[in-house]
Amino acid sequence: MNEWEHHIEVQELSTWFGKKQVLKRISCYFKDNTVTAIMGPSGCGKSTFLRTLNRLNDLIPSFRRKGIVRFRGEDIFSPGYSVYNLRKNIGMVFQRPNPFPMSVRDNITYGPKLHGVNDEDELDDLVESCLKKAALWDEVKDDLDQPAPNLSGGQQQRLCIARALSVDPPVLLMDEPVSALDPISAGKIEELVVQLKKDYTIIMVTHNVQQAFRVSDQAAFLYLGELVEFDKTSRIAEAPTDERTEAFITGRIG
Amino acid sequence: MTHTERTEQRTPVNGTIRILIGRYQSFRELKDLFFKILLSVAIIVIVAPFFLVLFEVASIGFWQVFGSSSGQGIEFFLTFPGPSLEGGIRNALVGTVELVVIASCVGIPLSVLGAVYINEYTEPGLTKSIVEFTSDVLAGVPSIVIGAFGFAFLVDFLKLGMGVLAGSLTLSFMMIPTVLRTTQEALRSVPQSLREASLALGATKWSTTWNVTLRAAFPGIITGVLLAVGRIMGETAPLIFTAGNNLIVPTELSGSGSWVASLPYTIWAYITDPRAYVQEKAHGAALGLLIMVLIIDLIANYISRRVTRRLV
Repeated sequence: MNEWEHHIEVQELSTWFGKKQVLKRISCYFKDNTVTAIMGPSGCGKSTFLRTLNRLNDLIPSFRRKGIVRFRGEDIFSPGYSVYNLRKNIGMVFQRPNPFPMSVRDNITYGPKLHGVNDEDELDDLVESCLKKAALWDEVKDDLDQPAPNLSGGQQQRLCIARALSVDPPVLLMDEPVSALDPISAGKIEELVVQLKKDYTIIMVTHNVQQAFRVSDQAAFLYLGELVEFDKTSRIAEAPTDERTEAFITGRIG
Repeated sequence: MTHTERTEQRTPVNGTIRILIGRYQSFRELKDLFFKILLSVAIIVIVAPFFLVLFEVASIGFWQVFGSSSGQGIEFFLTFPGPSLEGGIRNALVGTVELVVIASCVGIPLSVLGAVYINEYTEPGLTKSIVEFTSDVLAGVPSIVIGAFGFAFLVDFLKLGMGVLAGSLTLSFMMIPTVLRTTQEALRSVPQSLREASLALGATKWSTTWNVTLRAAFPGIITGVLLAVGRIMGETAPLIFTAGNNLIVPTELSGSGSWVASLPYTIWAYITDPRAYVQEKAHGAALGLLIMVLIIDLIANYISRRVTRRLV
């Protein structure tokens, strides 16, 4: 095992879809047990960046990349690297709630079962602890066998967070996790994100500047595939060094 | 509106029309009414054949199926026909069930696996278009041509001989394109983000396909399967040259002992018979077949609705 300081380190990462370059030589690392917000206008490559970190972009045939992403010091793109282990260690929450068409319980036990947890008691404990971490336990504990798609949108999204936590990943990627939700549900999820950072390293994509400022410790600003600025959120909020960042957070671009 | 006034002034109004115009003030509203009537007529014309068929078949065959005297009702389905076709149609009922079960055992797994391969494991491209094009063409091939193919390929070339095996394999050719295409349709309607959610948990592609994608597509697949089963159940043409006929149930897997009767073939054979009591049995068999197909459609409907409510 290599020496590593941060769970995820990115070095000179460029990506393309076909001939179109989406990310341009991005280098950065994500501090453990913090929330990093990646902001930027639509189409700037935020989601692509996030989905490169757990190699979900591999699904797209025209995807190409150059540069290195290290997870715990190991290059995730090196031949022979297990993408299944990588994704077990890097959880993901998507923009729209996407619970599996199964019961609430089965949604949580799906991941652990894949990775060999079969003991019923252990699974029951996992269901409870994951749902508690996602602040959903009290709302669903009486009927864990109800179909997950019956839950409200906000509950579904918290279930998706619980599902991501079920395989105990040290890193959690969130792709605009509240943009499809109503303000109250969105508020709950923001609170949850802040609570979760003591146990997890969270990287969250958002196009909402205010949300990034409320929730995150660091913020990255991506513009047209370039990493324009990456610093403490409070510093960026007070005095962005790049004029494009300033233009974005004051609402002139985006 | 000048248009309306003109219509009202120029129409020679008798009593009925005056009442209509009283209720439907303008020409536009009349037009609206006219289309409503037109649509209702269309619907009646669409639904009528079902009831006419049911009525026609039942008017002759009803007592065969529901009567309680000897040789009628359940006895009609449970006794074998005698040498001059008196008695029941147990041979045809059992034959149809055997043919459909074997055809399904071969056809359904093949088509579902094929659909999974095309939809989940290939990129859009030449292979995919070729498979989709072939299955569309196959779905459009007239059943008598499939029957002729079954005879030439299975019976003659592969030397299977006529019988239950050749007959059911020919039927499975008929159901494969339908099940393949409906399964594909069902898989396509599963949101990509569900697959991604599973993969992002570290699942393999196969695990994702089996546990998430196929599961989410299940109501659509089962509906397609049952509709295909209902369809091949009533096919005569593929069986004429491939299944043979039999007054009892097949006792062997090959040779003339494997010849098998089926409901549609029996209906066809009986209805062309000059004897009135045989024709009556044809209608009884037709009613029986109709009821079986109806039951399968109802089951398809029930499953897809129940599973949909439970899962989606």
